[in-house]
Amino acid sequence: MAEKKSSLDAVALGPSASADTAETPQPPPVTAPDHPSVAGLGAKFPDAILRHDIVAGNQHILFIPPDRNLEILQWLRDDPGQAYDLLRDVTAVDYGAGTPLQVVYQLFSLTHRRALSLKCELPLDALEIESVDSLWKAANWLEREVYDLFGITFLNHPDLRRILMPLDYAEGHPLRKDFPLRGRFTRAEQTRRALSQDLEHYYTEQELDLGGDSQALPPAGKETPEETGLEVVE
Amino acid sequence: MGLSDKPLPTVSAESPGLFGSGTPAFLTSSMDFLVNWARRNSLWPMPLGTACCGIEMMAAYASDFDLARFGMERMSFSPRQADVLICAGRVTYKFAPVLRRIWDQMTQPKWCISMGACASTGGVFDVYSMAQGIDTIVPVDVYIPGCPPRPEALIYALMMVQEKIRQESLSEHAVLRAEDPTRVAMPRAGDEEVASLSGPFGNSTKQNRVSGLDRTDAISRPGDRIP
Repeated sequence: MAEKKSSLDAVALGPSASADTAETPQPPPVTAPDHPSVAGLGAKFPDAILRHDIVAGNQHILFIPPDRNLEILQWLRDDPGQAYDLLRDVTAVDYGAGTPLQVVYQLFSLTHRRALSLKCELPLDALEIESVDSLWKAANWLEREVYDLFGITFLNHPDLRRILMPLDYAEGHPLRKDFPLRGRFTRAEQTRRALSQDLEHYYTEQELDLGGDSQALPPAGKETPEETGLEVVE
Repeated sequence: MGLSDKPLPTVSAESPGLFGSGTPAFLTSSMDFLVNWARRNSLWPMPLGTACCGIEMMAAYASDFDLARFGMERMSFSPRQADVLICAGRVTYKFAPVLRRIWDQMTQPKWCISMGACASTGGVFDVYSMAQGIDTIVPVDVYIPGCPPRPEALIYALMMVQEKIRQESLSEHAVLRAEDPTRVAMPRAGDEEVASLSGPFGNSTKQNRVSGLDRTDAISRPGDRIP
């Protein structure tokens, strides 16, 4: 067995058998079937596939250039042969040691029952990528989460705010490898900042205004639309 | 107590009496005993189940364990009508102001139970997002160890609160129930106390050793430092 250079190799190799192989019958080796989208994408965008990995047996991962993510993903969604109509996840990976951050798109086609992972590598000094919110509305909160925890800016995102950490969180982006586990500030400072949060700040004006709808109820004794002055919705 | 025009009860043949004809129709007792008896036998808990400890808390007031036997049959989902805050589960920094506001909204007299390892110390979550024990935020009367504690442990903690109430005296009321209005929504503990309460221990000290960092707030990529 080849010597493992790092723990990341184990990810590329996929699940390995346990050491005592003497009596355990080995399953037949899994041959990864060719992914139809890989050939299609290669034909449509000849220089777009920077790398093609097959991990865990049959999971296809395509590395695409980050500045072309929108057109490639749009083609994957709209082309009837691909029809990736479901964006299962947008996330990011930081392997540390100055390596580029990877933005991961997990696509699934309900029409063809087919999954595909796409990765964009962003160097640490240019953490910007186009938002895919215009393609899948599911990307809105997922990209906010990636922005919150990794500090990747999604261009043309409609509402790029922190979503998990407090809005005024000033210690950085916690899922980066260089982020210290216990945060950057002292515990006393963290406690003080936490308790000085403005709770109402988390709600949009529209959400706060929902309570005001009770004012729009018809006054007692007035039943008809003419009396209440409210519009009738047919 | 308002004044009444009714004549005071007297020992007479006509009076039914407390223990039969001819016995007194009134009792004498110490004010402390009466007030504490009333308080400790009708504690209304404010349940704040934020994690798995909340499941054990629900079991404690379901039929098998039946917290109502101790006078806690009504879970008060409004902090303004609650006596005991049961914080069952982990509290993140983002949730900390909510916990503090609930505590501030509770009326005196009030007590607090910190249920489980996470609420008491932060537990295994010695990380950037977790308050290291709710006693840095609100005063705590009884801590329950366990991950999660069994319902019997919660019942025992509530009995300890009852015992604490039994030993209170109205003469100490001003001290026991004192609240500084300027400290509303502020951390309960001072800086040094927070640091000592939330020092690294257990798994996080091992993590420091493995990563070669003496201080966990060391920065290995200075370009990410926020000015």
